[in-house]
Amino acid sequence: MASSQELSDFLRDVERRAFKQTVYAVRDDHAALDIVQDAMLKLAEKYADKPVNEYPMLFQRILQNTMRDYWRRQKVRNLWTTLLSSFGAGKDGEEDHDPLDSIDVEGEGTNPAIQLERSQTMRIIEKALEKLPARQREAFVLRYWEDMDVAETAAMMGCSQGSVKTHCSRAVHSLAAILEKQGLGSRAIAQLGVET
Amino acid sequence: MNIDNLQESEIDTQSIDLQAKQIAGLLDAHAKRLSMRTLKQLENGRARAVKVHAQQISGVSVNHDGTLSSISAWADHHRIASTGLVLVAIIAGFVIMQSLNHRESSDAFLLGADLPPEAFVDRGFEPFLNHSQAKL
Repeated sequence: MASSQELSDFLRDVERRAFKQTVYAVRDDHAALDIVQDAMLKLAEKYADKPVNEYPMLFQRILQNTMRDYWRRQKVRNLWTTLLSSFGAGKDGEEDHDPLDSIDVEGEGTNPAIQLERSQTMRIIEKALEKLPARQREAFVLRYWEDMDVAETAAMMGCSQGSVKTHCSRAVHSLAAILEKQGLGSRAIAQLGVET
Repeated sequence: MNIDNLQESEIDTQSIDLQAKQIAGLLDAHAKRLSMRTLKQLENGRARAVKVHAQQISGVSVNHDGTLSSISAWADHHRIASTGLVLVAIIAGFVIMQSLNHRESSDAFLLGADLPPEAFVDRGFEPFLNHSQAKL
């Protein structure tokens, strides 16, 4: 059984990645935060008796399921929104800007030019990742970002290992094509100086 | 020919993996740069999860109304509680039926006996009977 300290360390380690992955999937920061917090609570509630080495797989599974639940709820909500949109409700996406939202942590200390270049590249990569079909994005994230092997990714996604390889290959080709179109070949990405 | 194809596909797989890892590396580095507000909210979520975890381990859980309850309390487990209630109802029904049957047979015995019902209420009647039988 994992101790509370071990759980805390584990969550601290994965929370940022989980948040970003969820943002790419749901394209909404607030919803992504809710989903990640929900997944954290579910892990603590339902799997308190599990050892800490089982947490990565369990957490990823909970996260993916919570995202699916969100999509299901969103589908129903969208239906109502579409039905009611004819009444001409105002767009509520323009919320008050909070300066805390734009303060990055761990962003200082590097050359501003490199920072700018990196942030532009990131924006392109993020857009490309968001454009991927859900299964391809899930496979890419689990296989390469979460560093799972093909078997683990297949178990997580509930499909065959062959499907995982196909999804990953298509995802990387699509990403590479989009980046190439923006003038960002693999050499350009490597030159940004990020350890892989 | 086949070996060439195999080598080509292997190189292709390796280059895909390399490219994917480069992109994943960038994403990972970028994920570390979140706004302070987001980090604070993640921290709050983590703290809540750790609190729940500690309560789970100690055997105490928080109800929706904020009160504490023991996880081992059977009443918290709705299936066990409902099964227990059904069992209690069955047993209670059985006991009531038994007592009613017993009363009916007692009433029948009293009404069918040669002696008046008052004789059975009188505490001294049975010793009197025993005494007179012993005398005989």
